[in-house]
Amino acid sequence: MAASRSTVVLKAVKKIAVQFCPFESNIRSTREFLAMVSSERVRATNLNCEVTAVTKHDKSEPVVDVMYVDGERLVMKGAKLTSQEMFSAFQSRCIAKDPQAKVAGKK
Amino acid sequence: MAATLCTKIIPKQGWLPLTQIVRHGSKAVTRHKRPMHFLKQKLMAVTEYIPPKPAAAPGAYPSETIQVKEESGLALLKKKQLKEVFQTNKMIVVAQNSASSVEDMLLLKHRLYKHNISVKFFPNEVVRSFLSDSIYYNLTPLFIGPTVLLVSKEPKVKELLKTVRASQQITLLGGCVENSILSTQGLLNYSKLPSLTVVQGELVSGLTMLTSQTSALLQRHPTHLSALLTQYIKQQSGETEAASKSAESS
Repeated sequence: MAASRSTVVLKAVKKIAVQFCPFESNIRSTREFLAMVSSERVRATNLNCEVTAVTKHDKSEPVVDVMYVDGERLVMKGAKLTSQEMFSAFQSRCIAKDPQAKVAGKK
Repeated sequence: MAATLCTKIIPKQGWLPLTQIVRHGSKAVTRHKRPMHFLKQKLMAVTEYIPPKPAAAPGAYPSETIQVKEESGLALLKKKQLKEVFQTNKMIVVAQNSASSVEDMLLLKHRLYKHNISVKFFPNEVVRSFLSDSIYYNLTPLFIGPTVLLVSKEPKVKELLKTVRASQQITLLGGCVENSILSTQGLLNYSKLPSLTVVQGELVSGLTMLTSQTSALLQRHPTHLSALLTQYIKQQSGETEAASKSAESS
């Protein structure tokens, strides 16, 4: 599964919006990412974070749009990415944002 | 011809021999590579050893003959069940349940059962092999990842949409309602349609509108009808005059 931990800490994430066309053939990774991100353990790290999935039918590319608490956005176009890559990129960003709060808490 | 130095010729210790044989043939086995005769070189080049190519590993290339895998008994059973599901149920909706817990599933099943909608789980492989033979093969790309079938005998799309909107994990992907494949947009539109009787009534009324108007006119007093017709003739003549005037001026 994921590299360092099996779950991602979503404390710094405000909203995750996943959008794809179910009848296209390049959406496997996006769907897997959605399944990984909406699992119980990941959602339990931050109950305020909304995970929404929108299905369209206009042959558009699958897009994952992550909005962080500090206003930053991470847009991942999942057409040519694997779910592992998307998850690891997302996880690295979350860890980069989050340990600042953790370290401050520990101190 | 090689001639070795003889030890007998040395008279005293330390003295070099009187004769040293200079003309000695070269050795066959040398420490460096002896230059070969050109013809021998050619021969050696032509007769170099060609090692046999190692055969490809057993799984490297796909087999030339197509091996038809027999499906296991369980897969066949599931296929039969799927076939029944498609035959008996008018509405089949495909949704992705991204990791819902047991409680969520129970709640969802309970809410849907109130509207006679049942939740079915089938392995994706079985579904895909079934769909490729049937008329619903366009549903095949939907069955990737954690998928759930929501089926019901009556096409109750509105209630389904309401119930599914409440749960976060379920994402509607598409469905097949009364043998026509619909996307989520299509399902939404279907839910907004009025019932069949209402639509039929609207259609009938629209078609008979003109004929009912004529019959109503005819049923009234004939003077009313004649007044209307004279008015109509006046209007027509007025229009033709206006048309001719405009034609003259242009």
